[in-house]
Amino acid sequence: MTMPFKQPRATGYHQIRIGRLEMRLHIVRTVILVLATSGLIAGIFWAITLGSQDILPTGLIAVMSGDVTLSPTALAILTELRLPRVVLAVLCGAMLGLSGASMQSLTRNGLADPGLLGVREGSILVILCLTLFGPSLPAISYPVLGTIGGLMVAAMTVAIARSTSNLRFVLIGIGLSWFLSALVAMILVSLDASDAQPLLLWVTGSLASATWDIVPVAAGLLLVNFVLLLGCARASDVMSLGAQTATGLGVRLGRTSAIQLLSATMLSATCVSTIGGIGFIGLIAPHLTKLVIGNHSQASVLAASALVGGLLLLASDTIGRVAFLPLQLPAGIVLAVIGVPVLLILLWKRRDEL
Amino acid sequence: MRTERLSGVHVASRPILGLAALLVLISTLYLMVGPRLIGLDSLLGLANGFDAGSFDHRVLQTIRMPRLVAALITGACLGLSGLLLQGLLRNPLGEPHILGLNAGATLAVVVATAAPMGLATDGIARPLIAATGGGLLFLATIVFASAGKSGMTLLKVTFCGIAFSALASAVTSAILILDDDTLDQVRLWMVGDLAGARMDTLWASSWLLVPAVIAALYVSSCLNALALGDDVATGLGISVRRVRLIGIIAAALFCGIAVAIAGPIGFVGLIVPNLVRRFVSDYRLSVPLVALGGAGLLALADLAARLVMLPHEIPTGLATAFVGAPVFIILVARALR
Repeated sequence: MTMPFKQPRATGYHQIRIGRLEMRLHIVRTVILVLATSGLIAGIFWAITLGSQDILPTGLIAVMSGDVTLSPTALAILTELRLPRVVLAVLCGAMLGLSGASMQSLTRNGLADPGLLGVREGSILVILCLTLFGPSLPAISYPVLGTIGGLMVAAMTVAIARSTSNLRFVLIGIGLSWFLSALVAMILVSLDASDAQPLLLWVTGSLASATWDIVPVAAGLLLVNFVLLLGCARASDVMSLGAQTATGLGVRLGRTSAIQLLSATMLSATCVSTIGGIGFIGLIAPHLTKLVIGNHSQASVLAASALVGGLLLLASDTIGRVAFLPLQLPAGIVLAVIGVPVLLILLWKRRDEL
Repeated sequence: MRTERLSGVHVASRPILGLAALLVLISTLYLMVGPRLIGLDSLLGLANGFDAGSFDHRVLQTIRMPRLVAALITGACLGLSGLLLQGLLRNPLGEPHILGLNAGATLAVVVATAAPMGLATDGIARPLIAATGGGLLFLATIVFASAGKSGMTLLKVTFCGIAFSALASAVTSAILILDDDTLDQVRLWMVGDLAGARMDTLWASSWLLVPAVIAALYVSSCLNALALGDDVATGLGISVRRVRLIGIIAAALFCGIAVAIAGPIGFVGLIVPNLVRRFVSDYRLSVPLVALGGAGLLALADLAARLVMLPHEIPTGLATAFVGAPVFIILVARALR
């Protein structure tokens, strides 16, 4: 008598089969992701209507349905100023969220973040030198060369700290980023004030100069790296069981870690080359995500971190843009004011382990 | 017993005299070298009397000497603040910049400058406000870091300090961006540059040095026992709580004086005490050595900051960061190994 083979199923999953393609979806997490996406889209529309000139949402819907009743100035404000800025905020926030989530899973350190580990400063230094002293290059080369700078700093941090999972690793990254930002500041001091001003704004991270030109590069690199990271998500889940177990289960540790590190660094470098040095999203977004959906599958953590990151940068840029009209605060400063308390809460929660 | 103490003083005087001689050498170099080189004869001539007709004398009198004095006092204060923090926390990474005192002091001064009531931020009020701000942020840091089963570990208190510093600096930047008048008043001072040092603040702050130095001397005599652990210190008849309280107040005062004069300058308090403590383990002897060493290091750093990028000057705090960040990395890498 043969027993029919029954595949063990984890609860809460739903099997989807389209032709030969098979997928497992966790229903609760999928619903949360869909809700977050719609929240993000709603947020985009709301953010566009806010600003020194109020444009009602109804006007926006009218424009989208082809009925141009808005004045040309209002239309220009919408499509040339606010829309690219909002889109870039969401894209860069998503990049930083993804970068932080993969760095945290790679180093198994909840405090890993491109800004804290010096990776961001490495990219800033390379891109700054390219802008000032290098020949004019196509837009795509800045993020790529910035990635090399970031990878070099990451390698240095790991080499000095030896182990990645403790607080010493983070502190050595902070020390390296202090040194690199002193270098950046020295370069900026040597420039004329008029040249240094926009670069200074870029180093602190600002979306004020957002235009449509940089959106395709940002979107393209975000997509490529998101797909790469999703491809590693399964392996990364297994790696959380420990290196030996993962090797035994057939995960190629070296390749998976290399892809994760490369993608995380490239995402951070892309963000640096488009809007400059924004911090804290890579740190906060994955933790907020794990609070809501838990830390069960890397794929959903990645997707949700991207959404939360986009939402965070959109919110802080909009707050900085609108709260103190007619003055604007750079998004980086708003984020630091929100981000450090979150960081301190994280520390408080882990107070017994550190 | 008596002879031992006498010989102790004798032994102690040699490194102090050596460092003092080095400091005189650095100061002479500082006064002579710059965009305009000033000969030793003009420098010695100034000791005989100020000659209003000499351009060299005017440069020395109005520019270099005040800046040198500011550098020496600021450097000594930063070094002593670091030494006290390291001794009190038994933590080689203790430093006003890392543990949040500098950022807190800066925030307090900026808030007081921007406040609509028109708080006095000149004279002796400035270092007092700075010291209060720095001390409060530091208290927040240690309260936060001492939570949890493991207590206040070395790396945890460092990380908390950095986090609180980041928060205070972000709030400071936000205030400065939103308030142009305040930005104009503190622009040069903000970045930690001795070029922005003002003489009136310098003289007013110097009065605060008296209580701070007395407190430092008292605390340093107890730190040797405290280094053996709280229990041993209590057993030796030291009120650990009182020493901690007075020590923190002194460290905050030193940091407040330094920040009021020159703005937030980091890493002097990290480098000098760690260097001195490699050779001298007695805290009582460390106090004068660290004061001399801090003064010398900051004068050297400021000399480098004025010269490396001629015709541009870089802020003094940048020059100290170049040396300090690698020292920080080395110390972290060695900690707990």
